[in-house]
Amino acid sequence: MYRILVVDDAATVRMYHRKLLSDAGWHTEEALNGVEALECVHAQESDEAFDLYVVDVNMPRMDGYSFVRELRRLELRHQAPVVMVSTEAQRQDVDAALDAGANGYLVKPAQPLDLVLSAALLLGDREAARAATQGVRT
Amino acid sequence: MNQADLLDQFVIEARECLEAIGKRLLDVEQDPDNDELLNDLFRSVHTLKGNCGLFEFKPLERVVHAGEDLLDRVRHRTLAYSAALADALLEAMDYSAQLIEQIERHGRIEDGADAGSIAHASALRAFVCDSASASSAEALAALPVVAADPASGEDVTPSWMSRLDLAAFASKSGVLALRYLPEEGCFFKGEDPWRLARTVPGLLQLKVEGACAWPQGDERAAWDCYQCNLDIVLCTDAPRAEVEAHFRCVAEQVAWCDATVNVRTAAPPSDGAVSPLLRKRAAALWNDQCELLARAGHSAGTVRAARRALTNLLSCVEGAAASAASASLAELSEEVSASSLLTWARSNAPAAEAVVVATLSPDARMPDTDIAAVLPRIEDSPPAAPQKVLKVGQEKIDRLMELIGEMVVAKNSLPYLAQRAEEVFQQRELAREIKAQYAVINRIADDLQHAIMQVRMLPVGAVFQRFGRLIRDISRKLGKEVNLVVEGEDTEADKNVIESLADPLIHILRNSLDHGIELPAVRRAAGKAPAGTIRIVARQESDRVIIEIQDDGAGVNAARVRDKAVERGLIHADQAATLSDDDAVQLIFLPGFSTADQISDLSGRGVGMDVVRTAIERINGGVELTSVQGQGTTLRLSLPLSMAVTTVMVVESAGRQLGVPMDLIVETVRVPACDIHHFKQARTTVLRGRVVPLRALNDLLALDAAPIPNDAGELAVLVIRHDNESVGLLVDQFQGASDIILKPLEGVLAGLIGFAGTALMGDGGVLMVLNPKELLQ
Amino acid sequence: MTIRYLKKHAALEGHVAVDDAEALAQWLLQQREPAVHLGKCEDVHGAVLQVLLALRPTFKSSPADPLLARVLGLA
Repeated sequence: MYRILVVDDAATVRMYHRKLLSDAGWHTEEALNGVEALECVHAQESDEAFDLYVVDVNMPRMDGYSFVRELRRLELRHQAPVVMVSTEAQRQDVDAALDAGANGYLVKPAQPLDLVLSAALLLGDREAARAATQGVRT
Repeated sequence: MNQADLLDQFVIEARECLEAIGKRLLDVEQDPDNDELLNDLFRSVHTLKGNCGLFEFKPLERVVHAGEDLLDRVRHRTLAYSAALADALLEAMDYSAQLIEQIERHGRIEDGADAGSIAHASALRAFVCDSASASSAEALAALPVVAADPASGEDVTPSWMSRLDLAAFASKSGVLALRYLPEEGCFFKGEDPWRLARTVPGLLQLKVEGACAWPQGDERAAWDCYQCNLDIVLCTDAPRAEVEAHFRCVAEQVAWCDATVNVRTAAPPSDGAVSPLLRKRAAALWNDQCELLARAGHSAGTVRAARRALTNLLSCVEGAAASAASASLAELSEEVSASSLLTWARSNAPAAEAVVVATLSPDARMPDTDIAAVLPRIEDSPPAAPQKVLKVGQEKIDRLMELIGEMVVAKNSLPYLAQRAEEVFQQRELAREIKAQYAVINRIADDLQHAIMQVRMLPVGAVFQRFGRLIRDISRKLGKEVNLVVEGEDTEADKNVIESLADPLIHILRNSLDHGIELPAVRRAAGKAPAGTIRIVARQESDRVIIEIQDDGAGVNAARVRDKAVERGLIHADQAATLSDDDAVQLIFLPGFSTADQISDLSGRGVGMDVVRTAIERINGGVELTSVQGQGTTLRLSLPLSMAVTTVMVVESAGRQLGVPMDLIVETVRVPACDIHHFKQARTTVLRGRVVPLRALNDLLALDAAPIPNDAGELAVLVIRHDNESVGLLVDQFQGASDIILKPLEGVLAGLIGFAGTALMGDGGVLMVLNPKELLQ
Repeated sequence: MTIRYLKKHAALEGHVAVDDAEALAQWLLQQREPAVHLGKCEDVHGAVLQVLLALRPTFKSSPADPLLARVLGLA
């Protein structure tokens, strides 16, 4: 069972993202900001690291970029793909995400299909990726 | 969790945001250069806007967005904060609160909200257009940029893009497309959207059609040509910032799309079973990993994550090429460097051609889907993250309180049962055991009750919150300067008490602003600082919460109050003359005191202090007023800490059982008939050296019976505190104290004077609980 | 300057302002064969453009402004 950590300071957004992700069949947990997210990561048992991080950029205490930078310094078992979510869509915001070490970038509000498909692909969950694109007019 | 839960959560968080915004706006007014406050304010608005975007709440989003843009400028100091700006923001937030209310009630915003929302958004944007800095090309991120990809033949772009002929610009980069939908009333605002569109810098192409169908046949005669119905799409190669500046005054009416034609990797035609969309997205993400690895200074962690991403992407894409790639990826060393992995990735991309333009674009947006359509109904997945804070619905707490209350009352029947066991069934041992067990249960019930009361306790600050705004608005209207100082807002009291406090407090504040605090000129003439101060101090004293509202205004004019009371026929002239100034001032509490000429344009409904006092007393509180003419007035509210379980003394009178709240009782005493003095209609006795007036409870309740003395000829007197004095109630019997849940009278009985409510007794009977204050009036 | 109402068409000339939109609309609705001459038209207000798009009169002669011409389908 894939495990995803959702990090965002807005409770409504957390609920929304977790709902989309758990409906796709994944286990989700949440954190309010970078500091809590790191605590959450550290709290994972040795056989239970996260497989994906969905991280908001603008958060109090510790923003998304800082969190990802810190995350990338931790042990290898915690190193999983990071999808940054932001309201900004300028080139420099994407650059900042890359510099921090993110693997993907979504613009808020994330369309359900965008989030789920990107997550499925970065998790390597072929079934979920298929299911997500089924019925989409291409 | 389903759509309804998400909506609930939205409403909760939206209200929190609005509350935080309201508070911060006032804070910023006091301290406009405080960056922290400004950023805080911005963040709340930003969060609210973000949440709106999850739902199709366009009117709300529009207003909040305008506020956000405004505040963004303010916090970057390109726009100055002003009282006018604050006003506009406060109004916009009030309007937003209305919309949120609609959402809470109906799950959506009512039709016709567009007009109001456009009005508020425009009012806010007006500040932006007026400011000198608006001419600097500051990007207004009206809507995020979308990457279009016509090359792959997939339509993931907004439908209006198809109206533009982009093939003509295939060789250009940085082509921006936008759709401008001017609002209906724009002509009346003096706007000319055609002119605005025509003069866009770097204009490449411009198309116009009707937003709604043009009128046909008979409709044409009635058609209003001044209601704008234009739908304009255009593309330009000017820098986005420049174009945004051009549209800054109508930013919310413009939608953007990046029309740059990327020569991207075409999805490999290998396997038809895998959707083209999937392949396209996988290819995009692959590019992203390459971009990531191409940047300098990456840690082993990043490389590991990138590798994992690549591995996972390959496992979702089918085909021989992908399998081969997977195999070769697996063969790379554990400690592969970023550059080696990058080289590998570039040559093994799941695509036919090499990437020409590797832009890491935010993922293309899917056609707009409403959340409701996409979120299927599925059972909850239990939240696994350790929660430090729980948000619980009010109804759940109320239910808990009810249950605990019932238990508190139910346990009271145990002593009664023990008694029966002993007396009726001669079971002494059993009786003793029941009593012992009762003691245990009693203690637990007490603890439970305290615990739930703690949960229901709210800081009084919750009520004080709105006062900042109220005082600001009213003082400005009256042309007075007033500072509000609040102390002890963390003092806690029961939720019910707090909720009942709001209205009385507002009346008191209004009076203070209206009649208390003087105009700055008057104050100066009196040697006072031009700005008046209202202090609200809250603190806990044993089992009461004391709230004092103090102003340094003109105080109550005793002479005028005296005269007015006589004028209104509330008191006799000679009686009035005998009152000391301190006592005279209390006359304002008399019903009927507040009058037409006291109505300023605020205390409009002529709410008098009598109403305030009644409201406070209804929740078992008390109000006291002290005033020094010329110096100020202080109102002291004393409130019960909790309202749920009350201890009452049960008494019997004229064959009925009645409850009297314990906190009013001074003592119970039996007075021999000879110690009761009669004087005309009144009876008195002397207790502890003081004369105590006596009233027969039966008389007060209009029960036609005399109080019954006991065998020794003594009358039972329940001495209670009333208006700082003691009064003795003559009853027939005392029956002991009891813990009860006081239920206020409802429905037809609600208007009954003299009763605080009813309570369910341990033996199933209903006890009427008295409100002695009302009775004695 | 602005609109001259002739027998067979309305001639839009120079800069046609917002106030003219209503009159033009009324006039076009009353014609059996509504037609508009744009040869000397330099510029129109958005409301006037709207009238032209909504009521679709016959266009006699194209305006000098290529953008306007294209939007009206004349180029």
